[in-house]
Amino acid sequence: MRGFTISDVLTMLAAVQWTATLVILALAFGAPLALLLARMCTGRSRLARLVATGILQLVQGVPVLGLLMFFYFGMPVFLGIKVPALVSVGAAFTIFTAAFLGEIWRGGIQAVHVAQGEAAACLGLTRWQTFRHVVAPQAFSIALPATVGFLVQLIKNTSLASVVGFVELARAGQLASAATFQPLLSYACVAAIYFALCFPLTLWSRSLEDKLNGAR
Amino acid sequence: MALVEISNVHKSFGEVEVLRGIDLAVEKGEIVTIIGRSGSGKSTLLRCINGLEQINGGEIRVAGEQVHSRSTDLRKLREHVGIVFQQFNLFPHMTVERNITLAPVLTGKITKGAAARELALKVLAQVGLEEKVDAYPGQLSGGQQQRVAIARCLAMSPDLMLFDEVTSALDPELVGEVLKVMEDLATQGMTMILVTHEMNFARNVASKLVFMHAGMVHEEGRPADLFANPATPELANFISSVR
Repeated sequence: MRGFTISDVLTMLAAVQWTATLVILALAFGAPLALLLARMCTGRSRLARLVATGILQLVQGVPVLGLLMFFYFGMPVFLGIKVPALVSVGAAFTIFTAAFLGEIWRGGIQAVHVAQGEAAACLGLTRWQTFRHVVAPQAFSIALPATVGFLVQLIKNTSLASVVGFVELARAGQLASAATFQPLLSYACVAAIYFALCFPLTLWSRSLEDKLNGAR
Repeated sequence: MALVEISNVHKSFGEVEVLRGIDLAVEKGEIVTIIGRSGSGKSTLLRCINGLEQINGGEIRVAGEQVHSRSTDLRKLREHVGIVFQQFNLFPHMTVERNITLAPVLTGKITKGAAARELALKVLAQVGLEEKVDAYPGQLSGGQQQRVAIARCLAMSPDLMLFDEVTSALDPELVGEVLKVMEDLATQGMTMILVTHEMNFARNVASKLVFMHAGMVHEEGRPADLFANPATPELANFISSVR
């Protein structure tokens, strides 16, 4: 047994890079999917609406932990190959992000008044031009506070990756706790780091919300 | 051939038939005002003319082209048919200049930059608002917003302009400035179809008056004649109720 030292804290801080990696992966792949789902939900094709809504409902009804387990244990079974933990965990968070951001952005798009799209169409704009120049910018500023709020959820939820042994911030805390028998100190440290990451985002989301309400 | 030919148009919303066989022709240069009680189908008819609403029967031709035919490129058609709405529907996240130049630039009529600004200033001059070129819609009064909406329409140099109760959402003291702009347009020879509750405008500016009742064109003719000698009790009632 050894004591809890500054090096334990440094190890945790180093593990933040894997938390960040997961968040970036989830956003990089999840956000485009989310945009696609949001567009499908608000589009003209009934089939696309049905499919997209189905996906959103399904994923939102499953706990993130379930998604993680499904991809971690399921991918080798269904794909027949062993994939690195980063891939399966990354895939789970990508799907999670796609569904939740998709829902947030769907709401944003639908909050833009129908008449805005009508006015654009009446000026001879194509549907894509209408979305790109008229609907999307307004939907974006409506959905931005909620999007930043979701980012906070995402950062905290990556801690679940620790259950499959992926060494990110939370798992680093577990390891420190096991090595030093100082769980309280270890986990307090982990919590402090999560807080330091999330709190500025929460503040930002708040101020965006105020700005949005002021602009209305 | 008339610029707009509407023949036997039927339109239902669910069970409710709002247009029940409309016939109407609008010649180039005509100013047609459509009046009638709310629910008589005026706005719906206007929205059918540029394809915002589908129709259930009959046909509408604009410049010879059938609006509701599958082969018609509605986008091309709308470049020639402007519409101004009751609620202005300006794009709140864009300056007045971008509101006006967005469509002309995207449809390839003009290029971005100096040419776009020049066009914006030109059409703003027509509505007397050059100084607002860099403002955002939220910084303008309702009357000014509606004039910008008219300028935005003019920037596409339409052959026909539709006005859907454009003064109904305005404070009474702001109605005049918008009507003034529309009168100017009328004297410049723009073909206009308006749905309005402004009886003075219908009486003094319009070249044709259309009274709609229960989804039909109940009476049409020269405004002076119709106001002086309504042929049906419905129009007589309507005129006395709005006077």
